[in-house]
Amino acid sequence: MNKFFYPRLALVNLKKNGNTYIPYILTCIGSIIAFYTMVSIHSNKGLDQMPGSANLKIILFLGIIVIGIFAVIFLFYTNSFLIKRRKKELGLYSILGLEKKHIARVLFYETVFVTVISLSLGLIGGILIGKLLFLLLLNIVHFKSPLIFHIDYWGLLITTGVFLVIFGLTLLTNFLQVKLSNPIDLLKGGQHGEKEPKSSWIVTVIGLISLGAGYGIALSVKTPLEALMLFFVAVVFVIIGTYALFISGSITLLKQLKKNKRFYYQSRNFISVSGMIYRMKQNAVGLANICILSTMVLVTLSTTVSLYVGQEGMRRDFYPMDVSIIGEINNTDFAEVKAIVESEKEKLKIRSSDEISYDLARFRAFQEGSHFLKDMVEDESTDARYYERISNMILIPLDDYNRMTGEQKSLAENEMLIFSVGDNYGEATIVFGDQQYLITEQLEAIPMDFKKTQDMGQTYYLVVKDDAVMEGVYQTMKNDDDPQTTLHALMFNLDGDEDTLNTFSANLRTAITQSNPDIDIQNLYEALTELYFFFGGFLFLGVFLGSLFMMATVLIIYFKQISEGYEDSERFEIMEKVGMDKTEVKKTIGKQILMVFFLPLAGAIVHVAFAFPVITKMLAAFRLTNITLIFLCTLAGVLVYALVYTGVYLLTARSYYKMIH
Amino acid sequence: MRLLEVKNLKKIYTTRFGGNQVQALSNVSFSVEQGEYVAIMGESGSGKTTLLNILASLDKPTSGEVFLDGKNIVTIKDSEISAFRRDNLGFVFQDFNLLDTFSIQDNIFLPLVLAQKNYQEMNSRLGPLAKRLNIEEILKKFPYEVSGGQKQRAAVARALITQPKLVLADEPTGALDSKAAMNLLKIFSAINELGQTILMVTHSVAAASHANRVLFIKDGEIYNQIYRGSMSNDDMYQKISYTLSVLASGGEDCE
Ligand SMILES: Nc1ncnc2c1ncn2[C@@H]1O[C@H](COP(=O)(O)OP(=O)(O)OP(=O)(O)O)[C@@H](O)[C@H]1O
Ligand SMILES: [Mg+2]
Repeated sequence: MNKFFYPRLALVNLKKNGNTYIPYILTCIGSIIAFYTMVSIHSNKGLDQMPGSANLKIILFLGIIVIGIFAVIFLFYTNSFLIKRRKKELGLYSILGLEKKHIARVLFYETVFVTVISLSLGLIGGILIGKLLFLLLLNIVHFKSPLIFHIDYWGLLITTGVFLVIFGLTLLTNFLQVKLSNPIDLLKGGQHGEKEPKSSWIVTVIGLISLGAGYGIALSVKTPLEALMLFFVAVVFVIIGTYALFISGSITLLKQLKKNKRFYYQSRNFISVSGMIYRMKQNAVGLANICILSTMVLVTLSTTVSLYVGQEGMRRDFYPMDVSIIGEINNTDFAEVKAIVESEKEKLKIRSSDEISYDLARFRAFQEGSHFLKDMVEDESTDARYYERISNMILIPLDDYNRMTGEQKSLAENEMLIFSVGDNYGEATIVFGDQQYLITEQLEAIPMDFKKTQDMGQTYYLVVKDDAVMEGVYQTMKNDDDPQTTLHALMFNLDGDEDTLNTFSANLRTAITQSNPDIDIQNLYEALTELYFFFGGFLFLGVFLGSLFMMATVLIIYFKQISEGYEDSERFEIMEKVGMDKTEVKKTIGKQILMVFFLPLAGAIVHVAFAFPVITKMLAAFRLTNITLIFLCTLAGVLVYALVYTGVYLLTARSYYKMIH
Repeated sequence: MRLLEVKNLKKIYTTRFGGNQVQALSNVSFSVEQGEYVAIMGESGSGKTTLLNILASLDKPTSGEVFLDGKNIVTIKDSEISAFRRDNLGFVFQDFNLLDTFSIQDNIFLPLVLAQKNYQEMNSRLGPLAKRLNIEEILKKFPYEVSGGQKQRAAVARALITQPKLVLADEPTGALDSKAAMNLLKIFSAINELGQTILMVTHSVAAASHANRVLFIKDGEIYNQIYRGSMSNDDMYQKISYTLSVLASGGEDCE
């Protein structure tokens, strides 16, 4: 035989199966582009020099892992789909006299071609698109100075390696398929699963319980910490439930419908129900995949977009004032600090406002009703509720408070005013150690902070009679690693354009820390860079993965449509012969595809609806508490996704109808 | 009573590309009486399936007319054609054409369900029919679980359950072994004796020898026909074989 026989046959096969192999190769290329892009952005040297990029790199690394796992699962799935469809063809070869090892050789060459095409186009695409995506990322994280995006040879190597392994594994499974089967099986391969599916009540009930458990957890989550810890448990339950219900629940339900003779033997229901049973059997797993992928897309998109859009609001939560400088009273020269601030402002012609300064003591305490205990017992640290009861306490002397607010309040030795950032402090007294204090007033506002939702433990500002009381309480309550003495704070807001303020912030930190290395400077503008990196990174990853999952969904849908088109065309031809109207046939087909198609989307939307409470709680852990905003972002995500999904449906439905007629 | 009348039927297929034309039927006329059992024979490509498809109202002739029970089926509106087919015609195909999504029973019910009959009626019709065709045991099974002969009997049941005026069969024994074929032919004869009109296309001399009359088609025209009269199946067999051999040798005349 000509030594080019097998390669040529392989090439012919690929061409002949173009309508399935081209999408498959496109998927491979897409996965390779995604993987390479992530790897190369992750290892970009310029990014390292950026303060705050550490979080971004962790996020990107997460992305690499997710894409890697995804590529393995997805390419395996599509490959098995392709080989199943081609079993008949392979069986024919073997009947026509090709030995198994020859078939294996053809398969080998096919894989080689697919690999070479995918890798070369994927890597070229990765280099081009990667650059584009990198610029996009820099834009999202508000990164100004241009970074050069080099071709990452190391990344090329890793990507090639990973995908060679994946392709090698798919080839092995294909070999195994051919080896384990005889020609008759291969010939029948395509139509093996004609049997009516066995539905099992047990699986259905397990599915229901599992889904119920997942939803139950989602609905019962009370706090962000619980949400973070239980989210993945809920996800696992929901995934199990989804598969079980798609695979068994749907069939159980349909069979139940079928048992109802009155209902079943109506011409409308007759064909739909039996057709649906058949379809669900063939597609249950595929549909469950789509449902879960869609849910993932929606959750990823809505959370990351919410975080990104909501960060403006969140950062005020973190930083009630733009700049806060806090140092220990006995070793900080606040006159000097103030002078430095003034001179730095002068240099850049920046104005400040809302300037306040006051003495304070701060510590954390464990709240039990009105009793505040010295912090914390180690072994209880795993209990989420334990963290919720850790409170941040900030003590301020009355004369500082009066000076800042212009009020004339007075307090006795054993009296305090309280301002609670979160829920109001409900007790009439407050106890530190063995000292009890009367709460004479619940303050509605305080100059250095404001009311906001507190999910992870409370923050209390306590106004006390004088420095002596403050010192007394502090010495009773302070922990070993807290500073020895009480503190002094200087806070103000800034006016000016962002760039100048960034420079100012950097200069200020350098100038102050030169003489006061231990001073605590919190600066919104320094933090912004980090926040942008963090949330921008998340958004980037979210959109990136969202698109990838969407691509997967599109492909699964496409494969489903074409594999069904052929079979259905025969089926409906018979129905026409037996006396079914053409328009009726069309209507029935339409109804069936519509159901099969939008079932996963509907499932995904229900999942997202139940996940919403958990999502809001999880985002609260990032201090995003604007539920309206989260809701709008989720809604927008769902709408956009539904639109794309419908678009895909219309496109594939067209090719499906063409096959039928 | 004349059940079916076919007048000057002509069918020209135009291929989609290039406008190549194939004349499948050039001029076919014949009629079938109520209760007759007619076989149609002819070489491959002579136009038998084409003829049957037109009679089944699955296809339209290029010209000519077909009357079933006095009604011209060529001019029936598209919107009524399915209902017409459902109510008047029964089909048996070579490859059974059972739907793999339905059990045997539901396959048989299909035309009745489409005609919106209620379940009681469907069931009461099925009982005796299933008994006669000996498929009672397999009613709950699915097509992939039963043999070819059983499938074909199920298909016959599906054709008969609507109590059609005319049963059309295109090579019904084509996919069966000789025993199953024999069995099916016996069934056809039996239902014909009960008054069912049957029109069957076949390549099998044995099959055709069961019919009352055999039509031979050559090059899209009726070439000859044999009436059974008082002939036995064996005589019929001899005569059909002879006619076919003349036909094959391109003979101009016969009888
Ligand atoms: N849809 C079609 N388009 C074009 N030509 C067709 C079509 N169907 C049939 N023909 C042609 O019409 C002629 C008659 O075909 P038909 O199927 O009626 O033959 P037949 O007698 O049933 O043959 P066989 O015994 O092999 O089934 C053939 O030449 C065939 O090629
Ligand atoms: Mg034919």
